[in-house]
Amino acid sequence: MKTGRLFRIATIALGLAVATSIASAQAINSGAQTIALNATLAESLTLSLSANAVNFTLAAGSAANAGSTNITATTAWVLKPGRTAVGVYAYFASAAAALTDGAGDNIPSSAFFIADNAGASTALTSTVAFGAANAGLQVANVAITAANRNSNRTDVMAFNINLTGGTLPQLPAATYTGTLNIQAQATP
Amino acid sequence: MTLQAKSGRIVAVLVLAMTVRAGHLHAQVLNSGAKTIALQAVLPPSLTVALSGNAVNFNLSPGSANNPGSTSITATTSWAVNNIIGFVSLYAFFANSASAMTDGAGDNIPSADFQISDNAGAFNALTNTVPFGGANAGLRVSATLILVTNMSGSRTDVLNFNTNLSTLPNLPAGTYTGTLTLQAQAI
Repeated sequence: MKTGRLFRIATIALGLAVATSIASAQAINSGAQTIALNATLAESLTLSLSANAVNFTLAAGSAANAGSTNITATTAWVLKPGRTAVGVYAYFASAAAALTDGAGDNIPSSAFFIADNAGASTALTSTVAFGAANAGLQVANVAITAANRNSNRTDVMAFNINLTGGTLPQLPAATYTGTLNIQAQATP
Repeated sequence: MTLQAKSGRIVAVLVLAMTVRAGHLHAQVLNSGAKTIALQAVLPPSLTVALSGNAVNFNLSPGSANNPGSTSITATTSWAVNNIIGFVSLYAFFANSASAMTDGAGDNIPSADFQISDNAGAFNALTNTVPFGGANAGLRVSATLILVTNMSGSRTDVLNFNTNLSTLPNLPAGTYTGTLTLQAQAI
């Protein structure tokens, strides 16, 4: 009985001591230490192609000489604020000789057509950001807003060579080779 | 010298000797009053945080949830407190939850997309309101219960960092800077 009473008194005393300690506790703050953070999100613009070769079996004087395969261009970008457009361009280094047999016989860029995403087929007759004068085509143009500064697009390109214009109906039998370039540009 | 003169000299010497002895017999220690000096040695409560580094870089990948910091930073918290009940807590925080990091052109990475892993634990975003920093811009990194056995002590927290851009897929390219602050509190 006496022991229990002493225990209760001790418990109360301990509680009071704890309460006093808590009541008197004041927050102690350390000095603030800082860490400088530097995060870089690099600007990028890439273009990849699903393939790198297209063959044509030409028919003399024919307007429709389709390429052997479509090629998909995938353009991806991460842009800084202020960019307003991404353009995808197709072009040749020479308007007069997009394809050539190496013997002076050429197929001009104006006879080479691209249809983008099943759209109308268009000749490469424009002066664009890359390539020679009158040897290009803007395949696509994407307006850039805050909603698509980091984005991508695909362009499925179908190709055709039209041999009806000018002297092309008299194009001699031969193998004509050339290089079509696809390139993207973000502006301004 | 006459006998009378000699006797007088002897008597004089004896009288002087007796006088000196009598003086010695009556000497006593003399003490001053005691003056006290109150001594007080104070060990003030202290709490410090030291960091192993002060800069972390991130190479961000657009839309990626995983953009780890270039380095971990060790925070060493040391304390000497006089309350046995309570915690020493380490907090990480930004001044503003909406713009933990910014490119300065209005494009921001919020604190909700900044994560800290303490001592290889899970990553946690800085989304809490803590004693320091902006509302919803903080994280209690660690808490140590203070008992009589550790009223003076220290602990280390190895902090790893990550920036989660999965909720910011359209964050524009740029350089984003910010200041993360570490501060401890004992209470």
